[in-house]
This record gives sequence, structure tokens and C-alpha cells, in this order.
Amino acid sequence: MTTAIAELKYQIYNRRLGLWLFMLSDSMVFLALLAARYYMQGTHRPPEVNQPLGLVLTSILLASSFFANRADASIAHGDRAAFLRHIGITIVLGVAFLILVVAVEWPEALHFAPPSTGYGTALFSLTGLHATHVLSGVIVLLFALLKGKRGGYTAEDHFGAEGSIIYWHFVDLVWVFIYPTLYLVG
Amino acid sequence: MSVIKGLIFGLVGFAIGEGLAFLVGQDPFSDTAITLGYIFFLIGWLLGAGVWDHWARGWFGLKDKPTPTLASNGWMRYLMFSTDHKVIGVQYLVTFVALFLLAGLLAMVIRIQLLNPNGPLDPQTYNTVMSFHGIVMIAVAVATMIGGLGNYFVPLLIGAEDVAFPRINALSYWFVPPVAILLVIGSLLPGGFQSGWRVYAPWAERVGPSMLLFLMAFLTFGVSSILGGLNFLVTIIRLRAPGMTWGRLPIFVWGIFSAALLSLIFTQFVATALLMEILDRVVGMAFFAPDQGGGAVLYQHIFWVYSHPAVYVMILPGFGLMLEIITHFARKPLFGYKWAVGALLGIVGLSDIVWVHHMFTSGLPDFINAAFMTATELISIPTGLIFLCALGTIWQARMRLTTPMLFALGFVFNFAIGGLTGIFNADVPTDLHLHNTYWVVGHFHYTIMGGEIFALLAGMYYWFPKITGRMYNEALGKLHFWITFITFNLIFAPMMLTGLFGMNRHVAEYPPELGGINQFISLFSFVLGAGFLVFVYNMVTALVRGPKAVANPWQLRTLEWHTSSPPPEHNFHHLPQVLAHPYDYGVEGVPAHAVVAAGAAAAPASE
Amino acid sequence: MEKAALLRVGVLVLVVLAVLTAVEYWVAVGGLGGATLTLLALLALAKAALIVDYFMHVGKLFQPESGGH
Repeated sequence: MTTAIAELKYQIYNRRLGLWLFMLSDSMVFLALLAARYYMQGTHRPPEVNQPLGLVLTSILLASSFFANRADASIAHGDRAAFLRHIGITIVLGVAFLILVVAVEWPEALHFAPPSTGYGTALFSLTGLHATHVLSGVIVLLFALLKGKRGGYTAEDHFGAEGSIIYWHFVDLVWVFIYPTLYLVG
Repeated sequence: MSVIKGLIFGLVGFAIGEGLAFLVGQDPFSDTAITLGYIFFLIGWLLGAGVWDHWARGWFGLKDKPTPTLASNGWMRYLMFSTDHKVIGVQYLVTFVALFLLAGLLAMVIRIQLLNPNGPLDPQTYNTVMSFHGIVMIAVAVATMIGGLGNYFVPLLIGAEDVAFPRINALSYWFVPPVAILLVIGSLLPGGFQSGWRVYAPWAERVGPSMLLFLMAFLTFGVSSILGGLNFLVTIIRLRAPGMTWGRLPIFVWGIFSAALLSLIFTQFVATALLMEILDRVVGMAFFAPDQGGGAVLYQHIFWVYSHPAVYVMILPGFGLMLEIITHFARKPLFGYKWAVGALLGIVGLSDIVWVHHMFTSGLPDFINAAFMTATELISIPTGLIFLCALGTIWQARMRLTTPMLFALGFVFNFAIGGLTGIFNADVPTDLHLHNTYWVVGHFHYTIMGGEIFALLAGMYYWFPKITGRMYNEALGKLHFWITFITFNLIFAPMMLTGLFGMNRHVAEYPPELGGINQFISLFSFVLGAGFLVFVYNMVTALVRGPKAVANPWQLRTLEWHTSSPPPEHNFHHLPQVLAHPYDYGVEGVPAHAVVAAGAAAAPASE
Repeated sequence: MEKAALLRVGVLVLVVLAVLTAVEYWVAVGGLGGATLTLLALLALAKAALIVDYFMHVGKLFQPESGGH
């Protein structure tokens, strides 16, 4: 029995290390795009940029990260109902973020900074790539939610949930740098 | 069978992507339609090739189907989604040796063209041939050593059952066939590949769909390379057998570890650069259009941030394998093991701050060029350490001059020339004259072909008995070595000379006064190419009717020789217990490197 | 850690992150002049450090033996 638990912990650690290495690698894409933004445009920011919208987007992602963290703590203590509730709120906030980006921010930005301009290139590439990460994060959280509903996670064995939550925080982490770069500097 | 199912699913995916593009009013040959079609093709291909059957079913609460192993499905398992690292290693080796021979044939075409100052090909076809040769050889150099030999032997050398993530390992292999498909189709489309493997903007953004296929192929290959690097890192950090401390790790594993680290972090930059070009083309962004607010040499920066470390992704496993083979056949302890490890890690550290030496003619300020010149020249210190380790090991050794040993020694000779000629490219004043000439072509062929490919050939001969369970013909192997070694030097040393005389690379024609020396080069190129027929003949006949190989035909210490040839499904019948350094040949009182016996090791330990 | 304590830490981190975000916004919109780029970079790094440490539990990477929670 003890060796089974040791083996499980061993496997979980391997997967966690793999996830962190993946995020390290993935963050290089954003590093290159952020560097490209400053290389191309310096800190130039068109005056039309909707700063309150940026603040709203940031707040939504921060709140979702908070609920994801609660979901993590809940499943680690075997509280399945709280886990499902908090994952559900996280997913709703993630979808709200996506809708705001695609349906509000992009149509607005098309007017003052289309992709064929320097700032527009930075804005659409950064938010676009980030939005695909949000979308993939929502999808893995949905899978975690479904597996949690089936009772697939226990306090000891729940790396599927933990990993998707860590990935969700990573999506938030990336936004922490994108937000000032696009909305605040200059 | 994975290949056929993958193709069918892929074609369905392609149709879906093209259909979506049609619905939003795009021409089926527009960049948008092709990109969408390829994205869905790739998803369909991966699902059909095995991701659905052996992986994704679990996400929906279904039961995954079992994957083929080394013991099942006969030779058909090599066409299937196997998660056994040995099967994947063979898949990589066979695929990339085939690609290597294909790209070698293209080199022959290049040399036919350059027999005369005005060869038979029109410039555009020549550029396509040259770019195809370049990108395939880059892929071969990046993936054959790591994906092939690394996959097969890293778990064996560290005493593990498999890699850490077997399914991701299979996935990274199954990314490769779409790359080959895209490249072959793209080269046949009108326009071809005109930009060389570096696909510099803006030219690569202004040629037809063929160039788009090239960009997507390169990007896909990058993803495969990243996943491979991730897997090796976790495997080496976590799956070492009891007693296999970092200080006892075979030097080849250190080489793979360093290369995997570079591959994991830096491949993302080339992926981003290619993605930016695709976005420029498909969405009309302005990354590389300075008149619209983009950056003129931005592409070069991001591209070389990866592509300089990429040469170390190629050569670091080569360094490791060269030291490994030299030590075993010198039958002496590796001279300065710790210094060699330090040198490998030192190169990892330095390789990311040298990229501008590819851009000395791009018009950057002098103080930037000077800084990068200094950093580049610093790399000669760790590289020199590797050489000292190799030479110190050979020193006063009674060497066994087998075919792998000959290739490893050839590596040392060739790479010395490659390294010394590189100094002139690292120095700004000389590089201004040498940039984009055949001097550079000669230089990097000396390092990558004379170095990495020699190490690869050494490795294939060295481990042939372990992989196949049969022995190759030693006389033919030595013949192959001498043909390769002599003609190689007769090709690329004169090639550097043509560069000094001002012959430009990437150009289909050259000044008539260089005709004689180019005919000399071409002649020996054909001999070099013919030499590989000996290699193929030797490998194929040995595979069919070579004498059976025993478990340890060369009486060596490392772990892969402690198991049968070829190894059983989970590599070792018992968990190995590592007792001593792998290279302590002839040292008094040192026990065997490892014992593999029942009860030798108690429990799987992580450290 | 106890579940209640974990949740308390989560609330605390959220509050700090919200304050930092508000400060960022004030720095940019209120206009602190030329120092904003450096200041914004420092604020972003502080937020990132909080997320990496308290939400993503980077520390677990350095405790290979503990496995789960």
C-alpha cells in the first residue's frame, strides 16, 4: 500500500514537472511577442485605447484565478461539491473574458489600430494568442469539471484538476504582463 | 494502421478547414484557406494516427486501446502509434535516414548545377533545391540524434523502463510526417522555395502558397522538437535508476540533456518568428513591414535567437556521443569528466547571447556587434575544453579502431577545422568580407556534417548490434568511413577557398574563373554520395543476414550492454543498481558500473 | 495546510493583487510622468511573483518527495 502511494506521488511529481517545463517553454512565445511590441513601437500607445476595458478584463481574469485557487484547495481536501462549484465559476468568468475580447475589444480596436499598423499588430497578435490560451484553458477546465462530476478525483489523486488549474493561473500570469504593455505604458 | 487512418482523418480535416474558408468567402488557394485546411489536417492526422485511439478516449471516460509494443504486431508496429521508446527511436532513425539520403541526393543536384558557371537549372528551381536540401538537413541534424539515438538509448543508459511521457513521445514523432508531406508538396508548387531555409522576411511573405507550406512545415517541426526536449528533461531528471547520480551520468546523456534544455526554451522563438510571418501573410499584420510600423530586421533577431542555439541542439549530443565512443574504445576513463559536463552546460549558457554574429552585415550599431563578437568568441573556451577531454582520453591509449571509433576520431579532426574557421565568422572585420560566401557554407558543413553527422554515423554503427541484434560488416564500415572522411575534406576545404575568392552562396551561377575548383568539388561530392551506397548496403545486408550479436559485443561498461540485443519490452529484467562511474576502465578496485539482478535494488527511488 | 488557512491565504492574495492592479491603473492614468515603464514593470513582476508562488504553488517543484498536497 505504501509503495502504491509512493508510486502515485512519484508519477504526479513527474507530470507537474512536465507541466512547468511546458509553461516555461510556452512563455517564450509571449516573451518574443512582448519584445516585438517594444521593438516595433517603443512605448507608443494610441490615445483611443480603451483603458477601462483593460481594467475590466484584468479584474475578470484575477477573479477567475481566485476561484480556481479555491477549487484547487477544495479538491485537495476531497470536497467535491465545492470543487465543482468553484470550477464552474472559473469557467463562466473565462468565457466572459473571451466574449469581451472578441466581441467588444477587437471591433473597437479595428477602428483605431487595424492589424496592418504597428500597434494593431502588437495588440491583435498578443490578445489573439492569449485568447487561444484562454480558450484552451476553458476547454481543459471543462474536462476537469466533467471528470470531477464523474467522481474521477480524490484528495490524493487529482492531478488532472490541479494541472488544469495551474495552467489557468498561467494564462492569468501572461495577462499580467500583456495588460500594462498594451493598455498602460506610454 | 496509423498511417492510413491518419491520412484519411487528415484529409477529412483538410476538407473541413477548406469548407470553413469557403463559407467565409475565401478562394481555396488563398493563404487563409490553406492555413485553415492545414490546421484541421494536422488535428485530423494526429487523431487518426493514434491520439484518439490511445489517448483522447480517456478524456471522455472511454477506455484507451492498447498500443503496440516491441513484442507485438511484427514489423507493422513501426507504422503504428507505439509508445515504446525503442520503437519510436527506430521510427525516427529510419524516417530521418531516409530524409538524409533524399537531401543528400538534392546536394548532388546542387553539385551538378555548379559543375559549370551557368548550370542547367533556372535560378528559381536551383533555389528550391537548395532550400529543400537546407531545411531537410537541418531537420535531420536536429532530430536524428535526439529523436532516434536519444530516444532509444537515453532510457537504457539511465536504467529506466521508458521515457517519462511515452504518449507525448509518440506524439512528437507523429508530428513529423505532415512536415515531410508539406515540404514535398510545397517544393512542387509553382514558385517553390526561394528564400533558403532561413525564410527571411519580407521575401518569404511575398512568394505564393509554396512558401506558406514551408513556414507551416517548419513550425510543425518546431512543436515536435519542443515536446521531445520536454520529455528528455523530465526523463533524465526523474527516471534514473538507483545509484545513477548526476556525477555518474554517461556523457551522451549529458549531451542530450543540454540539447533538450536548449530545444525546450529556444525553439519557441523560431516558432514565434514563423508564426509572425504566417500572421503577416494571412491576417495582413505588419511585423516585418517597417513602412507600416513593423521592424526591418526584427525577423532576423527572433529567428537567430533560436537558430544559433539550434546549432548546439545539433552538436551537443554529437559532443556527448563522440566522447562516449572515444572513451569506450580507448578503454580509459574519460579525461576530465566534470570539465566536459561543465563545458556542455557552459555552452548552453553562452549560446543564447551570441545570435547577432549572424547579423554583422545587417547594419546594427558597432557597440552591439562588438559585444556579440566577444560573447561569441567566449564559446571557444567550453568548446576547447571538450577537445582537451577528447585528446586527454586518447593520450597514450591503446585504441580499438572499430568503425564507430574511426568516425568519432574523424569528428575530432573535422570539428577542429570547423571551429577554427568559425573564428573568422565571429570577428566582425573578417566576417564583413566572408558573410554569405561559400566560406560560411564550408565552415558550417565542417561543424554540422563533419561533426554532428559523423557522430551520428558513429552512433549508428556503435549501437547497430544493440538495436538489431545483428553485427554489421566491419570491413565495409571502415571502407565507408575512409571514403566519407577523405572526400568530405576534399569537398569542403576547397569550398571555403571559393568563398575567399568571393563565390556567393544561394546563387545559381558563379564567376567563370572558379570553374575548375568547383568541378573538383563536384567530382568528390559524387564519390561521397556513392560512399553512402556502401553504408546502405552494409546496413541492409547486416539486418537480413548479419551474424547474431551477443548482449555486449564490445565488452563495455555502460548499462545498455547489460541487457539483451535487442532489449526486452521494459529494457531490463530487473531494476538496475548503479554502483560506479561508467568509464572506469582499468582502474584498480572499481566495481562494475551496474548490476542487473533480482533483488539488487529495493524500490524505485527518485533521487 | 488546513483548508481554512488555504482559503484565507487565497483571499489575502486576491486583495493584494487587486490593490496592485489599482495602483498600476492609477500610475498610468493619473500620469506619474517618465517613470511609468519601470514602475509598471516592477508592479507586474510583483503580481507575477504572487501568482506563481501562492496560486501556482511553484514551491511544490522543489519538494519532489511530497507528491500531492
